[in-house]
Amino acid sequence: MPATNTDLLDRYLHAVKFWLPKAQQADIIAELGEDLLSQVEEREATLGHKLDEDELAQILKKRGSPMRVASGYLPEQRLINPAMLPVYRLVLKIVLCWVYIPLFAFVFLGPVLAFARPGQALLVCCVEYVRAAFMTVGMVTVVFALLDRYQVKFKHADNWNPRKLPRVPGVQDTRARWNHLAGFIFGVAAAAFWASLLWQRSEFSLSSGTRLILGPICRQMYWPVLGLTLASAFFDLVSALYPRWARVRSRVRIGIDAGMLVIVAIALKAGNFAEIAGGGFSAADLANKVAWFNGMIDYTLIAVAVVTVGDAIHEARCLLRGKPGKAAAILTTR
Amino acid sequence: MHTNGANSELFDNLRLELRRGCLVVAVLAQLHTEHYGYALRKALADQGLAIDENTLYPLLRRLESQGLLASQWREEEKRNKRFYRLSPLGKEVLRDLLAEWHQMNSALKQILGDRGPASASESGSQSKKGK
Repeated sequence: MPATNTDLLDRYLHAVKFWLPKAQQADIIAELGEDLLSQVEEREATLGHKLDEDELAQILKKRGSPMRVASGYLPEQRLINPAMLPVYRLVLKIVLCWVYIPLFAFVFLGPVLAFARPGQALLVCCVEYVRAAFMTVGMVTVVFALLDRYQVKFKHADNWNPRKLPRVPGVQDTRARWNHLAGFIFGVAAAAFWASLLWQRSEFSLSSGTRLILGPICRQMYWPVLGLTLASAFFDLVSALYPRWARVRSRVRIGIDAGMLVIVAIALKAGNFAEIAGGGFSAADLANKVAWFNGMIDYTLIAVAVVTVGDAIHEARCLLRGKPGKAAAILTTR
Repeated sequence: MHTNGANSELFDNLRLELRRGCLVVAVLAQLHTEHYGYALRKALADQGLAIDENTLYPLLRRLESQGLLASQWREEEKRNKRFYRLSPLGKEVLRDLLAEWHQMNSALKQILGDRGPASASESGSQSKKGK
């Protein structure tokens, strides 16, 4: 074989070698080289002369690019288990479409409208959304890749029971769906209000120099209340989108209600939500106003507790009955 | 027959799926006698089963790693060549695979009856019309 052909063949083999796992490189390259030489010999016998560079290049071209040839020897690799793809897509759909978009809309709508240049603020908002979306897709993908890498088994997929499948959504579910959607909107609005109202605030300036000084319990309650409100909104959204997950939702709501009751109990026990200062009131007047204000907060918290207990009872009843609405039939008899 | 691009791609994919399992059986069966890669490919092609080199060599390595083939490097015609042959486990697996293949083949024969591919596709289109 001419020296130029040997060089061409060596370059080809070297290029294939680059893509191969180290442990198998020598073995695969030796076999591949032998196969190519056999092909060259056969071609030369057919043509009756030594192959020139173009003819050898043609054989190599027919064999395929080095990367393609090497890829055949590599084990099949995947990032996510195909069996988990439906769950992966569902998680991304929920987070990107049904959590981020409404959340961004609610959180940024106010600032966008209040900004001197709303167009610019909207652009910033969109850029932030895209950035958050990329990060989320990345994080979710990493989590699912890790689940696949460490072969995490989902018992639910193997030990499923047809009797425990969620019921078919019924006629009443449409109404329930709108209720959940309203709950989600209210929850996000309440969370945004709570977050903006008390974010790093220790007092409020009222009219005529009067100041409302928040007690330490307000600061302690800030994150738990915000977290529970957002969690509640999130599960309202999930319930609106997937009404068939009623049982899961009921359990989660009971948990959220229990959390809310704990917060209310702690707050009621702590008392002294705010002090009033300034405004030129007499000491007796101030004491009356503080007592009135704290009393109103007490009553509000008690009302919240009553509503929460009512909600928990309702959810517990739904859970025990297992079928809040009349199921629609998929198979109809003719 | 497959002039349409989309149809051709669909047919190629289905053909690939159909061939995948058959190639394993053919390679295992051919390696009852010892062969090196190039000779094996020629032998299969001569019997009407052409197989791409980029499919054959990775397949040989996979079958060897699964214990179905055994291989050794040996010099022949002044060149080192890797010879493959069926391992004892490979013989057992091939026997089972052939039994399975015979069963599928006879079932397919029964399903198709005396019809050739043309009449089979004809009856397929008739059943579509029926729907």
